Amino acid sequence: MTTYDESKFLSVKDLNVTYKSGEDIVYAVNGVSFDLAKGSTLGLVGETGAGKTTIAKAILRILPDHSTRSCTGSVIFKGQEISSIKNEEMQKIRGAEISMVFQDPMTALNPTMTVVDQIAEGLIIHQGMTKEQGREAAIKMLETVGISGDRADEYPHQFSGGMKQRVVIAMALACNPELLIADEPTTALDVTIQAQVLELINELKVKQNTAMILITHDLGIVAETCDNVAVVYAGEVVEMGNLEEIYDNPKHPYTHGLFGAIPDISKDVERLSPVDGLPPDPSALPKGCYFSPRCPRATEECHSRHPELIHLEGSHFVRCIEVEKEGK
Amino acid sequence: MSELLRVEHLKKYFPTPRGTVHAVDDITFTIEKGKTMGLVGESGCGKSTLGRTVIHLQDSTDGKIFLDGKDITKVDKNELKAVREKMQIIFQDPYSSLNPRMTLRDTIKEPLELSGRFNKEQLEDETTRLMDLVGIEKRFHYSYPHELDGGRRQRVGIARAIALHPEFVVCDEPVSALDVSIQAQILNLLMDLQDQEQLTYIFVTHDLSVVRHISDTICVMYLGQMVETCPTDELFKNPLHPYTKALLSAIPSVDIHNRSKRIQLKGEITSAIDPKPGCRFAQRCPYAKEDCYRDLTLTEVRPGHFVSCAYVKEINNL
Repeated sequence: MTTYDESKFLSVKDLNVTYKSGEDIVYAVNGVSFDLAKGSTLGLVGETGAGKTTIAKAILRILPDHSTRSCTGSVIFKGQEISSIKNEEMQKIRGAEISMVFQDPMTALNPTMTVVDQIAEGLIIHQGMTKEQGREAAIKMLETVGISGDRADEYPHQFSGGMKQRVVIAMALACNPELLIADEPTTALDVTIQAQVLELINELKVKQNTAMILITHDLGIVAETCDNVAVVYAGEVVEMGNLEEIYDNPKHPYTHGLFGAIPDISKDVERLSPVDGLPPDPSALPKGCYFSPRCPRATEECHSRHPELIHLEGSHFVRCIEVEKEGK
Repeated sequence: MSELLRVEHLKKYFPTPRGTVHAVDDITFTIEKGKTMGLVGESGCGKSTLGRTVIHLQDSTDGKIFLDGKDITKVDKNELKAVREKMQIIFQDPYSSLNPRMTLRDTIKEPLELSGRFNKEQLEDETTRLMDLVGIEKRFHYSYPHELDGGRRQRVGIARAIALHPEFVVCDEPVSALDVSIQAQILNLLMDLQDQEQLTYIFVTHDLSVVRHISDTICVMYLGQMVETCPTDELFKNPLHPYTKALLSAIPSVDIHNRSKRIQLKGEITSAIDPKPGCRFAQRCPYAKEDCYRDLTLTEVRPGHFVSCAYVKEINNL
């Protein structure tokens, strides 16, 4: 086994993904870099279309073939470059060492297979279990996520939304992955069920020391489950840091806008102060800073020069010309 | 302040092959003019059905509805048209509630035309006024719904709903399909319109932070029944029903320094098909005892604060 720096359990460098859409080129991910330490959780936050899911799919190399135009950059997992290894090698990592929970449990499950068979599938393929062993382990996994073993031979349509999502989580965790990528795992669920699922993910994280990338638009969920946060806008990381740095001292005007837009359950605010306008069309990104057309602080320079991600202090990074100037 | 809407013992049952769904079961409330009542609960609790039944999108099974003191529970076709002008709805999904073959301008003009109140010139002026009011830019007047983002589509839905100056609007999860920053823009618009047009809202949502922001009073529903209702501040300060407490504690907060303890509920929402008598939350309730399966009414526990729970006093040391 290769040795690697545990603070760089997963290291993504300069990830770029473009899609083709008719004649247009869609710039979905633009130079994303981040490190994830062993056992820690990173929240990827941003609005619909910001490129969060594409980042996850690019790491796992499950981007759709027909529409992907290019995918470049480096993804180093436990010291090994996995962006260029053979497909067969990658298949061994996927599901065994890195697994993913998809947003919509209704479509992530095979409607023609019983839930126990779907969970056992990964165990049989990756861990060489026999059918009986796989079944036994799968039932244990179902019980871990709070579903009684009696229901193992039922089909997905016999389960409620919250239970289906638990089945998906059981599938993702069956092989004890070291890295879990969860894409909006609770968005389709009601709050009390969401609380159960988040609790479950947190428990498993502690028990198995799983590292996690949590993709969400909900800053409350990030606050409760993540150690670090990366705010994604138009396919770029615009601000990154640990929870305290981002929640107590947000620097980027977009991050401010995100916080201003949520009605906080614990505070009375007369009027919300959201960012005006809409995210840019990723096939026609604006010149200069991608956020400048919506930014209340934008100056001439912001419309012409594209800012770099600069280091502030600690683990806090920001991509903003105005913040850059303040520092000087 | 005067009372605009009063609903008494409203019921809406749906017959199904597996039994009768008690979607709305004996709900009573009043809303004052110009105020907003938030209707919250999880999927399938009957909150949308209640909103739709109140404005006569479907007939009620039992109970009474009064608008401005007038009984509108049973109305004939002609009366219904008059009632509809006063009561409108904004739908959840701005993607499916607009006609894909009509331009925005025609979509917004349609209710004005049907009202027969305007001549040709007034019609155009009024349409333009409405589009300005909800903030749809000139360049989109002749666009079709598929060319727009969800936020702008929802603005069209809002313009249609308020076109004929209704007194009362049911907002059925109007921001649930939108991203946070767009959601905030639409919430601000709804609150501005309420001030300008003296509108009264029922705001149906599953999002408690949104409901806290926009409502004056709140009704919490669970499987067709009302479990708690009171002014908004009171509900967030002193939730008394065990379900409300669990619901509030389940919301992830952005406050990273004050983590409140979460009440974990066991199990999932059961079904409202031929429910057993008594409290429907009892199966998941940490305090449930045998008495909970007997009939139960909403009682005023504190002034203006109604709770439907047999053990509310014991649980809250009142």
